[in-house]
Amino acid sequence: MSKLVQIFSSRRTWAWPYVLFMLLFVVLPLILVGYYALTDINGAFTLHNFAKFFGHSEAIHTFFYSLMIALFNTALCLLIGYPAAYIMAMEDFKTPKVMAMLFILPMWINCLLRTVATVELFNILGLPLGEGALLFGLCYDYLPFMIYPIYNTLQKMDTSLVEAAQDLGANRWQSFWKVIVPLSMPGVYSGIVMVFMPTVSTFAIAELLTHNNIKLFGSLIQDYITTTDLLNYGAVLSLVLLVIIGVTSFFGDNDAKEEGGGLV
Amino acid sequence: MRRVFVICDLLLVTCLSAWAQSNLTYTLKVGATGETKVLTEFPEVYSAEKVNINVQCTMYDVQRRDSLDFVFVNEPVAGLDAWGDSVYSYTDEGDVRWTVWRNHKEVKNRGQRVLRQNAYGAFEEYVVTATSKAQRGKGWIWWLFAGLALVGTAMYGCYILYGRRKEKELSSVEQEMLRRKRMGNRRHYGSQLYLWLLLLVIYSPIALIAVFSFTKSKILGNWTGFSMELYANLFSGRADAGLNSAIMYTLIIALIAAVCSTILGTLAAIGIYNMRARQRKVVSFLNSVPMINPDIITGISLFLLFVALGMSQGLATVCIAHVVFCTPYVVLSVLPRLSKMNPNTYEAALDLGATPAQALRMVMLPELWPGMLSGFILALTLSVDDFGVTFFTKGSGGLETLSTFIYSDARKGGLTPELRPLFTIILLVMLVGLIIINIRNNKNEEK
Repeated sequence: MSKLVQIFSSRRTWAWPYVLFMLLFVVLPLILVGYYALTDINGAFTLHNFAKFFGHSEAIHTFFYSLMIALFNTALCLLIGYPAAYIMAMEDFKTPKVMAMLFILPMWINCLLRTVATVELFNILGLPLGEGALLFGLCYDYLPFMIYPIYNTLQKMDTSLVEAAQDLGANRWQSFWKVIVPLSMPGVYSGIVMVFMPTVSTFAIAELLTHNNIKLFGSLIQDYITTTDLLNYGAVLSLVLLVIIGVTSFFGDNDAKEEGGGLV
Repeated sequence: MRRVFVICDLLLVTCLSAWAQSNLTYTLKVGATGETKVLTEFPEVYSAEKVNINVQCTMYDVQRRDSLDFVFVNEPVAGLDAWGDSVYSYTDEGDVRWTVWRNHKEVKNRGQRVLRQNAYGAFEEYVVTATSKAQRGKGWIWWLFAGLALVGTAMYGCYILYGRRKEKELSSVEQEMLRRKRMGNRRHYGSQLYLWLLLLVIYSPIALIAVFSFTKSKILGNWTGFSMELYANLFSGRADAGLNSAIMYTLIIALIAAVCSTILGTLAAIGIYNMRARQRKVVSFLNSVPMINPDIITGISLFLLFVALGMSQGLATVCIAHVVFCTPYVVLSVLPRLSKMNPNTYEAALDLGATPAQALRMVMLPELWPGMLSGFILALTLSVDDFGVTFFTKGSGGLETLSTFIYSDARKGGLTPELRPLFTIILLVMLVGLIIINIRNNKNEEK
């Protein structure tokens, strides 16, 4: 009994249920993705699914196409989001928090509903629903993920460094590129990771935005994984996506984790 | 610096507009072959008045592929005809006209076969006989944007060139003074305009929802006069039964997930905080995995787990899945509170004779509750907003949350109208909450 009390009063053990839970529902499922990818429908070991992927030109095409869309969207978000974050952080707004919150508020509206509304807006304006709509919609959905981390780092930045640079003779251009940009890099990294990863794996949004005319990798995975016979092949596709995610988060890891830029 | 941004963005808009302009509209004409094939497997799916073509178009790579693929969906799935509605139309001669948007100069698909369901529910087979010339879509709006952006860029460029030259004529002292003045609290209307324009774009689809929540038209974008009927329907439960149950399930799942993840996450945070560095690193990594994983991966991996375990998917699996991706955020919002609090108070309570449970309740909780509360609220919003994970773990038992309900609704071709007032109310509540929080913060700062 006293031992039991001791175990409970050692607060380290309080994390055990969580660790167990995570092992069961996070680690094991990820291992299962690999397991399903390496087996056929009867559970026997096979590499056939991987061979099928590399011979499946449609899947390969879709994969690179989604990668391209994701990269393009990330660049677009950065181009539009960085100035916005910069202005919000530098401008002396009476209520900077309200401005920041205004950019985040739309995220409380269901993202699918916003997507449908975007489609309707395009219809009303008479614009075609193609790649343009896809990029607009994706950028629109993920822009806050880019603005917020950058805004956070810029706001925490020590402005006296900028003043020091200017006192030492740097012009505005120099002090921006040599002081502000390097200091905001952690936020930029985490913004890139936070936009790129959901974009590359997006599935329903692309489907709604283009009336199912453009297929992204996420939709392809969804198609295969929900078909019972092709579940193992779907697992291969998920594994490919998982590798991309792993690589991205590895690159973003150094800075993104510390700065985090969590949205609330 | 801001000038450079403004110019970059104007150029960006120009490029985007020019690029969007290159998305031309093509019209394919599909003519009847004379040979009519009648299939009888699906006799009575549609009413006699309604004509549907069940043709689904798949274009995997719009940029590179030269030919389009038709995938003929012979089963009249309820959701599929809606995709066609806006894409197909009929010419006066009774031909099928299929409109697609492509970046290509020419479209080759003569000889393609298309199935059409006629007014009596039978299928007829058509062959593409002609492709008409490219038509410009309603491109004027893009030209307008591009023109405006170009004019803006030019004006701004002139201003900068002129301004710079004028500056160089000044003495160094005057230049310095000018710079100091600029460094001061001058308001930059140009850059504020940028922010407001961005907000305008971001809020325009939402405004569309809000405005059209005050008319009872079934279709978004069709104003049929002011009416509060949708609000009345929503509150009196006269809305679609599917919507009502979706709202209920969304709330139930969010509450269960938030409560479970708050308890689990708080205990875990206390545990992690007291761990040694190495253990702590491992658990923190484990904690970050669900946050890094995108929805689809979390959803699919859990789906595979439930398949492997032979669990039937439904409310329980969705709740588990939501706890999985909510808890890490709770842990992260409780941990900072722990590092702020005096670590000895808990032990002092134990020394003074409190049981661990009492010490937790009377010493730890009062210190931790702000972190727990924000974790709880975060978990609620994450759970309500989630689509990807729910989609893969809800099973096929008819369980729908708001997100999946909207998705299947949108695939059928139209939103349930009562969704508009629902989300307008949510937006307003959030806005009011934001304003209240802000006013409070300001007051606190003044104190």
